[in-house]
Amino acid sequence: MKKVIRTLLATSILAISVQAAAETKVGFIYVGPKSDYGYNYAQDQGRLYMEEHMDDVETLYFENIPENADVQRVMERMVRSGVEVVFPTSYGYLDHALKVAEKYPDVHFAHSGGLKTSDNLMTYFAEIDQAMYLAGVAAGLTTGTNQLGFIAAHPIPQVLRNINAFTRGAQSVNPEVTTSVIWTSSWSDPTREAEAAEALISGGADVLTGHVDSPINYVQVAERRGVYSVGYHADASQFAPKGWLVGAIWNWGPMMVNIVNSAKDGSWKSEHLRGDLLTEAAKLSDFGSAVSEEDQQTVLDRREAIMNEELQVWAGPVFGQDGTVIVEEGDTMTLEETEKMDFLVQGVQGRLK
Amino acid sequence: MEYFATELLTLLFAALRSATPVLAVVLGEAMTQRSGVINLGVEGQMLLGAMTGFAVASVTGDPWLGVMAACFAGIALSMVHAILVLGCGANQIASGVAVLILGGGLSAYYGTPFVGDKIDTLGNLNHTFVSDIPLLGQFLGPITPTVLITLLAIPAISIFLFRTRTGLRWRSTGESQDITRNLGHNPVHYQLAAIAFGGLMSGFAGAALAVDYTANWVEGMTAGRGLVAVGLVIVARWNPWYALPAALLFGASEALNLKLQSWGVNISPYLLATLPYMIPLSVLMLSYRGLRASGGGMPAGLSVVFQSAR
Repeated sequence: MKKVIRTLLATSILAISVQAAAETKVGFIYVGPKSDYGYNYAQDQGRLYMEEHMDDVETLYFENIPENADVQRVMERMVRSGVEVVFPTSYGYLDHALKVAEKYPDVHFAHSGGLKTSDNLMTYFAEIDQAMYLAGVAAGLTTGTNQLGFIAAHPIPQVLRNINAFTRGAQSVNPEVTTSVIWTSSWSDPTREAEAAEALISGGADVLTGHVDSPINYVQVAERRGVYSVGYHADASQFAPKGWLVGAIWNWGPMMVNIVNSAKDGSWKSEHLRGDLLTEAAKLSDFGSAVSEEDQQTVLDRREAIMNEELQVWAGPVFGQDGTVIVEEGDTMTLEETEKMDFLVQGVQGRLK
Repeated sequence: MEYFATELLTLLFAALRSATPVLAVVLGEAMTQRSGVINLGVEGQMLLGAMTGFAVASVTGDPWLGVMAACFAGIALSMVHAILVLGCGANQIASGVAVLILGGGLSAYYGTPFVGDKIDTLGNLNHTFVSDIPLLGQFLGPITPTVLITLLAIPAISIFLFRTRTGLRWRSTGESQDITRNLGHNPVHYQLAAIAFGGLMSGFAGAALAVDYTANWVEGMTAGRGLVAVGLVIVARWNPWYALPAALLFGASEALNLKLQSWGVNISPYLLATLPYMIPLSVLMLSYRGLRASGGGMPAGLSVVFQSAR
């Protein structure tokens, strides 16, 4: 009993001190460790950016929270401790976040990558497939064997978008290119990722990329074996001084600051906020020395074209693996369609399921 | 023909690479169990070894120091198991699980500042005489030191276990502690050494993953390989020589899963991902037909562990 009283006292003192500071509390929930040098790392970099650029904000975070009812408890705990804006950053948190949001209408929720909203729940994401398309252009210009390798975790829409965008980018400059996909069935299994990289290289691929938690593993194997690599999530150029081409990386900070500001000044909109190359929420990293000046210019020209909407990554014709037309010429896939993507494009080798 | 030989050798050496960390753990755990102690905590010891090895390699710039630190980290964590099991008489299964979770937690906590660091690797056999051997050179060249050390450990352990007096007592402790006691020796000494050796090998296996193979530290990077190794000890029948084919079986199925995908074979990737577990399991079932009575070489003292757990 004494212990309970002591804990209660401690929490109330903590609550009072928070009140006194009059700061907006912002809570983040990550599905994996924030130190994964990948998806969660990028989200956490956004949190740190917010701490640095906003004076009146206090952030807290929980790592390794599974996508089940546990996350509801974490969110409830956050709300009860005074958190006013919650960032549930994993795809599978969406339905749980909607439930908690309904219960606490005064608290704002910003979910990463979802396709549902409610009065106080908006979603944010960035069209990083635009950057992957550009990385594909660099890969298509660089490859000598016309074989690209893609190490992928799970066949979910976000991953398929990247495989397809990368392949389409490469095909746009080099129609001969094919992309071999290896599924690792895990967001983080460094040994399997390294071995998948070895298998792709011995199969003839000379540019590797991937969509797993951390690019470090396959980038290092590529460097060791003397082939090129394209990064994802975070800049891994230091691991491949010779073979690094370019990477598609996140930059959540400014977007997250805007979301929190909108919650504070009442301009909050319940919407699907999507960043892109223009808003720099998804970016192309710096080029490695393996990309020639001329090729860099080609990629940058394409980037310009995407930013002023002359070039659409998902403009038809889009062909499926077996050659069937998925998007007719003249049509373009909508945001909802791309975010529900369930096919691989022509030129990708590997089975979906 | 040459294409076929090349592909087969690629697969074989890929299998050896994937198998090495598992093999090291199988060897260590087989020795631990030979003394009548089961340690399910090897996965945690591997993780702590991997993190410590990577951290030391990153801070000192010397990957070999990292490997040594990993071995010590594995031993240190295995001593928790030793204290609980030998000192306090705790249930071995429960203690092992505690060590497993402890290792995962400690490595995640202390490993965070090192994520994304770049370390030097241990190098490989390229530019030595073996890489000049025709046909085989291209496969032998990329072999790394931890693979060689692990392979050399097999005859060393075998000679120790089957050809030395201490090895005999070690085995007798696993069969019956009373025998060792009647011979005037304290079985606890052997069991302590056996747990420590298991710790050393799992710490080393962690280093093989983090310092040598991937040159990277990620939380939970062993991805269940330590637990797979505990299972493979049974497939290997507690024999260091059989540990090699048992671990290779796992390594080959792992390599095959990825290789088949890169060949574009029309099989579901979900199904292929079960290969590393399905194949050893099938071999276990097939190879144990008719072996029920003898227990397949299980040290008799181990059965006590499971009886006490009831």
